[in-house]
Amino acid sequence: MDKIHYLISEGFKNIWRHKMTAFTAVFSLFLALFFVGLMATAGENTHKILQYLRAKYKIEVFFDQDVANEKALGLIHQIKKINGVRTVTLIEKEDAMRIFKDQFGEDILEILGYNPLPVSAVINLVRASKFPVKADPIVNKIKTMKGVAEVRYQGSLIRKIERTYYRILGKLPVIAGIVVLVAVLVIYNTVKLSVYSRRQLILTLEMIGATRTFIKMPFIFEGFFIAILSSSIAFPALVGTIETGNYILANFTSWGIRLSFDPVIWIWLFVLSATITILGSYRAIAGILK
Amino acid sequence: MIEFQNASYSYIKGNGVNNLNVKIDEGEFAFLIGPTGSGKTTLMRLIYFDLIPDAGMVIVGKYSSSTITTRKIPGARRGVGMVFQDYKLLGDRNLFENTALPLHALGFPGKEIVDRVEEALDLVGLETKSEHLPMELSGGEQQRACLARAIVKEPDILLADEPTGNLDPVASFELVRLLETINEMGTTILMASHNYNLIKGRGRRILEIKNGTLRGS
Repeated sequence: MDKIHYLISEGFKNIWRHKMTAFTAVFSLFLALFFVGLMATAGENTHKILQYLRAKYKIEVFFDQDVANEKALGLIHQIKKINGVRTVTLIEKEDAMRIFKDQFGEDILEILGYNPLPVSAVINLVRASKFPVKADPIVNKIKTMKGVAEVRYQGSLIRKIERTYYRILGKLPVIAGIVVLVAVLVIYNTVKLSVYSRRQLILTLEMIGATRTFIKMPFIFEGFFIAILSSSIAFPALVGTIETGNYILANFTSWGIRLSFDPVIWIWLFVLSATITILGSYRAIAGILK
Repeated sequence: MIEFQNASYSYIKGNGVNNLNVKIDEGEFAFLIGPTGSGKTTLMRLIYFDLIPDAGMVIVGKYSSSTITTRKIPGARRGVGMVFQDYKLLGDRNLFENTALPLHALGFPGKEIVDRVEEALDLVGLETKSEHLPMELSGGEQQRACLARAIVKEPDILLADEPTGNLDPVASFELVRLLETINEMGTTILMASHNYNLIKGRGRRILEIKNGTLRGS
């Protein structure tokens, strides 16, 4: 019991005795974990940006002049059944006239004596699809319907957004992999340097008859404490950064996006740093011991 | 207690020791003398199994170089105390912590550690400096601290590799006297030195090593 108590307290004391080395290790680990955390948060929130953009996708359908509101409702019912369509809003002739007046300030009925604006509909596409939203097949289907005069939509823009998003999504694991790899290397080498700077202690302990376990344990505990410390700093820093981002998004944009942060990330960050520091310490000491 | 049987060891770049045959009995105090590079340190390292002979055998107590494994080396070293020319004290720990280190490694209970460390520091005359860091001590004091760390676990064998190498004549003489006191308590001691004047006339066996070969004793 005395021995275990000694080994744990040595782990703590080593941090205090080598403040500068410990600070460097904690800071490096913090930076590495912070970027990994940011990456994870970015990955978790990209779909929100896509959903925001998809909410802007709009297909406008203009019906023939002879299509009355009742008939248009029947067509809308058919359109709603098309895969990929989220909502369809009917714009009656009277609504179209009101919109015209709002936009141009003129009453078309007064100018022409009749309302030439057709019944139309605004179609919104699905937002939360895991697959790229394709507007062209929907538009083509609508065009074949009897009573549809014209379909307007931002075809190339939708294609561009969807293509770009899925390109990013495809590369995200690679980018995340690189960030994690760099973080692992930074943490591993920091730990190795920290252990190597206390080579004399390890060799002295070896000479006085300390077992390998006795030599390794304080370093492993120290690595564990450093992992707790750095992930405990990285977590509030991440939350702070995300909250700052949310403040900017809420106050300086009209996107209506609120970034979320999964607290489970903290557990992952801690597991990542603890595994690497413990493994790094273990291997570094093994390299020094004969 | 310590026995070399046709033991040889050579480094990649040469030197080392050749065909050593010597026996040091339990409770004996022997000196090992020879010029720098003659093989004194290699001989010492063979005793605490820091090196394993290429040929022949070294027997230390119940351990033999021919059968010892890496896992058993810490056990073999527990019965051996070591004093080095460069002290090898840990600069980030005070004298008490440095001296207590072997006892922690051996798993002694806290109360016994305190008693033993105080006793060891008292024996080497450093009882008032237990809170000092090594850098706050003189060379002679650091060497005595190193000695306290070596004897605190009450080893059967004490190896002193050029312990007076960095000390002035007075401190050197005091250290040898201290080693003699420890030997009187029953510890087998082998002290390496190249200072013949320090060890002559003490009535102890002197082993002479030159170019890795024992010339006489």
